[in-house]
Amino acid sequence: MGELGTARLGGKVALITGASRGLGQALAMAFAREGAALALCARGASALDEVARAVVELGGEVLAVSADLRSSRDLERLVALTLDRFHRVDILVNNASELGPTPLPYLADYPPAAFEDVLKVNLVTPFRLTQAVIGGMLLRNHGVVINVTSDAAVTGYPGWGAYAVSKAALEGLTRTWSAELAGTGLRMYAVDPGDMDTDMHRAAIPDADPSELARPDDVAHAFIQLVTSAEPALAGQRVEAAALDR
Amino acid sequence: MRRDGVRLMVIDRTAQSIRHARLAELGSFLCPGDLLVVNRSRTIPAAVAARRGEGDIVQLRLCVRHAEEWHVLCVNPDPPHANVALHVGERLRVAGTETAVRGRRADLPLLWRIDALRDGIERMLRSGEPIRYSYVPEPVPLSHYETVYANEPGSAETPSAGRSLSWELLLDLHRQGVGLSDILLHTGLSSLQDDAADAEHPLFEEWFAVSPNAAEAVNRAPRVIAVGTTVVRALETAAGHDGQASAMEGWTRLRLGPGSPLRVVDGLLTGFHEPQASHFDLLRAFLDEPLLDRAYREAIAERYLWHEFGDLCLIL
Repeated sequence: MGELGTARLGGKVALITGASRGLGQALAMAFAREGAALALCARGASALDEVARAVVELGGEVLAVSADLRSSRDLERLVALTLDRFHRVDILVNNASELGPTPLPYLADYPPAAFEDVLKVNLVTPFRLTQAVIGGMLLRNHGVVINVTSDAAVTGYPGWGAYAVSKAALEGLTRTWSAELAGTGLRMYAVDPGDMDTDMHRAAIPDADPSELARPDDVAHAFIQLVTSAEPALAGQRVEAAALDR
Repeated sequence: MRRDGVRLMVIDRTAQSIRHARLAELGSFLCPGDLLVVNRSRTIPAAVAARRGEGDIVQLRLCVRHAEEWHVLCVNPDPPHANVALHVGERLRVAGTETAVRGRRADLPLLWRIDALRDGIERMLRSGEPIRYSYVPEPVPLSHYETVYANEPGSAETPSAGRSLSWELLLDLHRQGVGLSDILLHTGLSSLQDDAADAEHPLFEEWFAVSPNAAEAVNRAPRVIAVGTTVVRALETAAGHDGQASAMEGWTRLRLGPGSPLRVVDGLLTGFHEPQASHFDLLRAFLDEPLLDRAYREAIAERYLWHEFGDLCLIL
């Protein structure tokens, strides 16, 4: 529940990708606690079903769709099932990301097919998913889209090749789309959650000290802050979760 | 080609004039305060393969989706998709599950009543293909059939008048002071794959919803322009004799034709379809026969493109 004991997202519908673990799982639980109905998506069905069960235990309403959003049929299935069940999407969180091959290869050594795949998951899919739900948002003149980014988008770290490129482009997508949405009731943000204690972070940097990493549950709180304020001044911008949560 | 790159014929009923323009110029024919109403129904892949007991494959085309019973056309999977007769009680294997044939619809015998598929929408989304007619020779991705504002899924065929609208155009119109509202009407089939049956202008029920917000916007607007005949059907179903629209949802069986009163809709943006289509009947509610005839002659002479990926016509 919200700080005042009221569900701040009661009556809202949130669609979250990559919702079976890490930040996506934390976001699902945080949004559910705030009263949002949830459409959750991930590739693996069993982990996703576990998250869905936890949401139901909280008293939340949830639709779990196991889908590979690189497939246009799967993407359309996710969107259509969500709209069939809830009739609208108020909040879209493009959270699903692919790190690419690990250990992280230098660009000179990067397998081209893996590079393309990372761009497809981290950039093209958020574009297509947003395009598939934004029409309904524009009809209602209301909606929030959050694209989850990374500091790799703005800093050149050796080995983070395709992931970094995809996140930089995702931030560009956010800026351009936001400019096109000026004057509407829609807001789009790129949120950098910072370094978190997640499977993806462990795969990228196996020797990182977990005590120095943020917990996804804490970071999810910043997303709630942003969604509930839908701060117009930040629309289109890259926003650091740590700055929001102060 | 851009969605909104199609041509636009503009028919002014008062002036009895016909002009030729581009859809991108739509704003120059509308005024601040005008209200465009679109159909937000999302197209589903409504053609699905079914295996009969003896192993033959047929194609089912979903037309009407009741909770317990679907009404489907059964055709040969290959062009020209001739109708195939089923047997009452026959079981069909469809999209990983089974259904049973209950019988024909009494009013439209080409439509078969079958048990609704369990998890039906999901099964169609996994296994179905968009319904495609002979003038579309190659498969087209479902996204090409969708309007840019498609929301809840349920249409067997695209509410196609709005298919050419882009958000760039709609947001421009908004900045110009033209309002935008939406209704929901899940379309059925535009053809029963039978010339004689189609010539009878088959009428079946379609699910629709007009929200309180839409009814209020319609009642407030000085001029209401329906984007597509589905919007006319929904709004006129929700219209009372007092000329006011009410919030309403349910099945509509409204038939509009020559002399039908238009209680809330003042104008129509629509595509070009064959004169035998029921769509043409509805146009007669807007246009008298001589002007309709003139418009279609000009459309042919000016080589307007027909069907769901074609050009548009604005009737004011």
